Amino acid sequence: MAPLALSEILGVPVEEPAGTLHGRVREVAICPQEDRSRIHGLVVRTSEGDRLLPRQGIAAVGPGRVRAALPSADWPVFAESEGMLLLDRDLLDQQIIDVHGRKVVRVNDVDLEQKPANGGLLLRIAEVDVGARGAVRRLLRGVVPAPLVERLVARIPPRVIPWDFVDLIETDPARRVKLKISHDRLGRLHPADIADIVEELSPAEREAVFETLDEEVAAEALEELDPKLQISVVESLDSDRAADIVEEMNPDAAANLLKDLPEETSEVILEEMAPYERQDVSELLQFEEDTAAGHMTTEFVAMPRTARVYDAIELLRHFEGGIETLSAIYVVGQARKLLGVVPLARLVLAPPNAELGQLMVEPVACPAGAKEKEIFALFDKYNLLSLPVVDENGSLTGVITADDVITLMRAKL
Amino acid sequence: MRWLKLWKTRILLFFAVVGPGFITSNVDNDAGGIYTYSFAGARYGYQLLWTIVPMIIALVVIQEMAARMGAVTGKGLSDLVREEFGLRLTFLMMLALVVTNFGNVVAEFAGVASSLELFDVPKWISVPGAALLVWLLVVKGTYKSVEKIFLVAVFFYVAYIGAAVLSRPHWLEALVSTVPRPTRMPFTDAGYLYMVTAMIGATIAPWQMFYLQASVVEKGVTVRTYKLARIDVIVGAIVAPIVAGFIVIACAALYQAGHTEIHDAADAAYALRPLAGKYASILFAFGLFNASLFAASILPLSTAYTVCEGLGLESGIDKKFSEAPAFYWLYTALIVAGAGVILWPDFPLLKITVLSQVVNGVLLPFVLFFMIKLVNKKDLMGNHVNSRLYNGVAWVTAGGTALLTLVLVWMS
Repeated sequence: MAPLALSEILGVPVEEPAGTLHGRVREVAICPQEDRSRIHGLVVRTSEGDRLLPRQGIAAVGPGRVRAALPSADWPVFAESEGMLLLDRDLLDQQIIDVHGRKVVRVNDVDLEQKPANGGLLLRIAEVDVGARGAVRRLLRGVVPAPLVERLVARIPPRVIPWDFVDLIETDPARRVKLKISHDRLGRLHPADIADIVEELSPAEREAVFETLDEEVAAEALEELDPKLQISVVESLDSDRAADIVEEMNPDAAANLLKDLPEETSEVILEEMAPYERQDVSELLQFEEDTAAGHMTTEFVAMPRTARVYDAIELLRHFEGGIETLSAIYVVGQARKLLGVVPLARLVLAPPNAELGQLMVEPVACPAGAKEKEIFALFDKYNLLSLPVVDENGSLTGVITADDVITLMRAKL
Repeated sequence: MRWLKLWKTRILLFFAVVGPGFITSNVDNDAGGIYTYSFAGARYGYQLLWTIVPMIIALVVIQEMAARMGAVTGKGLSDLVREEFGLRLTFLMMLALVVTNFGNVVAEFAGVASSLELFDVPKWISVPGAALLVWLLVVKGTYKSVEKIFLVAVFFYVAYIGAAVLSRPHWLEALVSTVPRPTRMPFTDAGYLYMVTAMIGATIAPWQMFYLQASVVEKGVTVRTYKLARIDVIVGAIVAPIVAGFIVIACAALYQAGHTEIHDAADAAYALRPLAGKYASILFAFGLFNASLFAASILPLSTAYTVCEGLGLESGIDKKFSEAPAFYWLYTALIVAGAGVILWPDFPLLKITVLSQVVNGVLLPFVLFFMIKLVNKKDLMGNHVNSRLYNGVAWVTAGGTALLTLVLVWMS
């Protein structure tokens, strides 16, 4: 059967089985917690108030008319529940996330598909129209005769998003739960894409997304956000939720964020964090922002010179930090004094029982107080992927990674 | 060099606060506005200066509302109109906005042409040059750089203060006339009433609210940072009518000399020459050029923003051309057509300008009506809904502009 646009149903008269007209379609309801795409029923405006024509009671949706299989006396009085999505109010003209196209779009119309089902009609949401087709149809309906509108609209190439790729944004937490809105599909995108999408949203919508995203994903997406937006997102969240997300961030990114937050907020978040992560971040917080120490992460792998390759690989298997720091293993002596560097490639190519001391090369390191310019120069001169940072005693305190350097340089462009 | 450093810090501090609000209110002192104010000064001397105070009050309230909505909801005005009132109303509103803004863009390029003609630059050089400059500025720029350039442009409005001072006005008389008290019974003089309407119409325009709210959102102002943004909006809404007042004062010199007829804004600069001297005239012409160019870049930009937002198309000057084609095409079309019209011989320029003013006036009460409805929605604004006083001023402004527009249409 032919697909149907939401705008073709709204306002259409409803016919009882006896053939008399009884009211007009005001809304189309779905109950996402029962079925994400199936139409739950039509809300019909009648002379005695709004009634719900349940899905089993819809016999046919014809041109300009809905035929009911149930007499109007059997249509219950419409009472809206929180778990109900009303398509005209909640979807039409609102913003949604197109997970497939990775952007925020506005809904112009909703395409429904109809299938005959044991004597009645099964209506489902097939796709969301975000292109000119839906817009033109809605603008002209009622102004220009319907057949003419359809002829015109048929010539416009459709721009639609399958319902499965649509992610709704609901800012009210209670309703979000009732509507079963989660951001699972959004969460599967690359963090940088999530960040791009989130930047398109309003602050309340941003908060809603960050509340439901998985913490790890939220942390990665947060790192990719513009620093100004990071602050506004974190400030909008509960402190324990914020702490959960900040914990999952790279310590250097977390420290940078906490530095930019108002002191009260960052203290509360720090307190809520798990002790291990808190210590990492607190150490970094002491450093000046524009020095080497201010940009370094404390997540790295260091071993003594007598350790063997298989020990090192075993240790790497259990490494929990971000993998971008894993371009090398650092060889340290007494009091974590930096002795050498074993690039990961060299480690992998060496026999399992070789000692790190034999594999290591002379380290290129910078002091904790080094300025950004010196860091850039070292990365450029030695073609580094990561740069160890040492304190005044030559002890290894952290590592600066190339991705941070690129971000930093781009910010200066 | 200590003074230089101090001066620099002060300027930086100033720029940290000023932004969208300051730009928005001042850009409305554009070619059309300057013409209106010059005309008011030349025809009535100081007698229309009293409109400045109500203008400030209305502008402060209306602009503050737009900025607050932007900060609280994080959405543009056309976004909100679309979400709350549907596609059809939004579309009609956008259509009306494109028509009036096109008329205004034409007027800006006319301002560029006539102001530079005073410096002996022919219009077939000045107009395409200005169009290209304006186009490049936005297409190649980012929000930050564009905002900086606009802020510098706002600064040049000082030229009008200079022009006013050089015209040696009676300061005391001017000041007394500014106290809100009409000195001539408006209902007995059609021309006077017409001027009052035009003065207010030149100060509050529909596109301003859309532009202001959109740039507040784009600047990332939130509820927390709103306090600073509010200062910006209020200062802007006070400064712009004051600048308008200085234009009136400068042109009152023409009134005192009995030169009460001017035909366009550059005419005022020309006429000021024998009366107030070469420098007053140059400053006036330069001010006109600056304002026209400035408005010529913001108007198409604001239109493109608003229309794309309302209709759900990609927009924003931080996006590339290919990412937001509708946005950039609309922007480009407005500039090319707006500038092209000026170069077209025998184009009914006056008719288009008058028509755009009328549509402007018809549209404004509607925009204000939607704004008041939206800003009072609890589920949208939370605790930041309008206070009674604000609603009072806003409704009076909406009703007043509607009434004045009716009068204007009836009289013409």
